[in-house]
Amino acid sequence: MILRAAAAVFVKDLRTEWRTRVAINALLLFAFSVLVLVGYAVGPTRLTLEDRPVVNSVLLWIVLFFSAMTGLSRAFVNEEETGTAAALRLSAPPAAVFLGKLLGNLALLGVVMAVVVPLFLALMSFGIAAPGLFLAVLALGGVGIAAASTFIAAIVAKTAAKGALFAVLATPLLLPPLVAAVTGTQIAATQPDLVAGLDAVRLLFAYDGLMVTASFFLFDAVWRE
Amino acid sequence: MRLVAENVSRAFGPRRIFGPLSFATEPGRVLGVAGPNGSGKTTLVKVLAGLLRPSEGSVRLEGPAGARLSVHEAAGAIGWCAPDLSLYGELTPAENLEFFARVAGRPRARDEVDGRLASVGLDPRRLRSIRTRFLSTGQRQRLKLAYSVLSDPAVLLLDEPGSNLDEAGHRAVAAIVAGQRERGSVVLATNDPAELALADERVTL
Repeated sequence: MILRAAAAVFVKDLRTEWRTRVAINALLLFAFSVLVLVGYAVGPTRLTLEDRPVVNSVLLWIVLFFSAMTGLSRAFVNEEETGTAAALRLSAPPAAVFLGKLLGNLALLGVVMAVVVPLFLALMSFGIAAPGLFLAVLALGGVGIAAASTFIAAIVAKTAAKGALFAVLATPLLLPPLVAAVTGTQIAATQPDLVAGLDAVRLLFAYDGLMVTASFFLFDAVWRE
Repeated sequence: MRLVAENVSRAFGPRRIFGPLSFATEPGRVLGVAGPNGSGKTTLVKVLAGLLRPSEGSVRLEGPAGARLSVHEAAGAIGWCAPDLSLYGELTPAENLEFFARVAGRPRARDEVDGRLASVGLDPRRLRSIRTRFLSTGQRQRLKLAYSVLSDPAVLLLDEPGSNLDEAGHRAVAAIVAGQRERGSVVLATNDPAELALADERVTL
């Protein structure tokens, strides 16, 4: 029943987003602006070959992190602002609401990644030596960002200073996976050997497991008054 | 199933809004909640629905065999219609009802949803492709009424159910209250004397 209800929340959010395109437009516009700015200011030729993997890895995750900050907080803010949260609280099990919103944020971040990452790689001439490792780091990093953002969005949705509080809470919570994702991306760019990046993948996997599980169980207390 | 409130009160900061109050709803009966604007009727209804915690006291549901449930544990047992309630503006009326039925674990077929819309005076065919945000205030109120009884609740909480409704809308409210008497109880918070006349007993704030 929880999974069916979660799927219903996910489909409802997708349908609403498809009809308004508020979050995806905000995310893509922000990501595209930063991408153009980075490409113009740094570009592929202004970096030495040695510096490229480090700087490009950091820049890529900065773009993804701030894009997430822009759009993923909307998951619960919309429900509170439009007054639909009360009906959702009364009708749906909290676990289903969390899972549905998490799936929605994952889909949103997935679309952003699918657009931003290839553009970034092309714009910065950023070569990847281990594509499998790179994809794993992207996927696990994305899950970590989406899980933490979803949970924090639920916390800040009822507050007055939503945007500021979201950034204040999200930054320390997202630093560990971001450091691991940057390290993993850097290794994927320089070493074709998958094993070299296993530590970063393990750390991201552990973080994701911890964040999803903790959020799932703590969500009930956050979602109710 | 009975909704039992024991010594319930609610305060926002130092300001007490209502209470302490004790009462219970009985199957087949309508409990009216009366009081002037600002007396706490809407807050009381939210506390009964589990949307606000009481500052003191408790609210619980009691089954026929004496089984006790908190209002949070009885998803779908409580129906709610209030001025604060909003449904999804980007979904059509039928999509809204289908969504809430699905998340409550009681999926409804489109025909049944259409029947629910028709029962509150909304034409399902005319509204099939119209998003809820384009409905008139009265039509939205009718949709909220349809939502409130979607899960066939044991306890129906109605807060100013007749607001923005025309004469036919008021008749729909009376029909919903009459239908609810057959499957459970109603708490009806209102300032409208005609609506209060539907109540069997009253709590005045």
